[in-house]
Amino acid sequence: MRWAAIVWLSAVLGASAAAAALNSSQRVRAFAALPDWTGLWQTEAARAFNSLSGKAAGNEYEAINRYVQLVGPAPYTEAWGKKLRADLATPAAAAGASNAKLCTYGFPIIMDVFQLFQAVVTPEETLFVFDDGEVRHIYTDGRRHPAKDDLWPTAMGDSVGHWQGDTLIVDTVARTAGSLGIGPNTLSAQAHFTERVRRLDKNDLEDQMTIEDPTAFTHPWKLTIHYTRAADLDRMLPWDCANDRNPVVNGKISVAPP
Amino acid sequence: MWRLVSSGLALLLVAQSGAAHHSGAMFDSQKSLTLQGTVKLFQWTNPHCWIQLLVQAPAPAAEWSIEMGSTGNLYRNGWRSSTLTAGEKITVTLHPVRDGTAAGQFISATAADGSSLGRPSRTAPP
Repeated sequence: MRWAAIVWLSAVLGASAAAAALNSSQRVRAFAALPDWTGLWQTEAARAFNSLSGKAAGNEYEAINRYVQLVGPAPYTEAWGKKLRADLATPAAAAGASNAKLCTYGFPIIMDVFQLFQAVVTPEETLFVFDDGEVRHIYTDGRRHPAKDDLWPTAMGDSVGHWQGDTLIVDTVARTAGSLGIGPNTLSAQAHFTERVRRLDKNDLEDQMTIEDPTAFTHPWKLTIHYTRAADLDRMLPWDCANDRNPVVNGKISVAPP
Repeated sequence: MWRLVSSGLALLLVAQSGAAHHSGAMFDSQKSLTLQGTVKLFQWTNPHCWIQLLVQAPAPAAEWSIEMGSTGNLYRNGWRSSTLTAGEKITVTLHPVRDGTAAGQFISATAADGSSLGRPSRTAPP
């Protein structure tokens, strides 16, 4: 039944593309066909680092490498790997790593780090709304990516999607080239992302992510990111940098008075 | 295929952590310090909550800045903005900063009656 409804939804939206809005009764029917992803979702990293100090048990770096897959080994070409290694070996890179501070993350690392998110599923788009204020818009109204002149690189890239049963297939391009923000990995401007997002059961969500980068990679990089429901929360708790007391002084992060 | 993980740089460049925001490298995680003091200020803020603790010993007397996780981290571990009030006497265990200033990373705290305030940090994931 749900399959039939989603096939109908895909047909309606696909045929009309973004041009024609659904009428009210069509929209009610379209909503009813969509999977229920309500609630707040957290990565394995968010669970591990949920403590009074905001740190995980044990060694910090080992914990990040254990829980954040996107800091792991990427299938770089020899040329890209050599260049990246040289870039990372500079004193400036080392200093930047120890002094770096993040208040937002960008895609794709936002899907794999510490921020909780809410999935808002509508017939026209699915939104991933993160507690740091970042939002992914994944348009499912049948549109394609914008034309070349209407598209430029952004931290989140441009995402369109469609439903295959209860699985959301997401296609993302135009992510700003460069570092993932955490860890050593970088991507070129040609990076292309495909995700298959589905709810496994009441409390588990999964994102099967494939990153293709014809410039940097020898072959696609496949990851499966697992989320669990944050059952202890009944609302989004915002996270911001309004009281940043960690200025960089003499090249090191320090503690400022209140 | 070329993999960075074997270079050691993978660990080096993993800078930010848990409460996101910044690395914990500034704190000496091999050292723990327990301080008794009086709460001057409790900041229920992001990216970190902070305890300002007036400490008499060890000398000299100093105001310590104790960094905690985010409001979300604290809330999910049983703390509220009202958990600490100015003038309250508490005992805090922390990892001190490496540069010797009066600051550190929160590990745990107990009230004057010895009861634990929330769940201590560095526990196993829920």
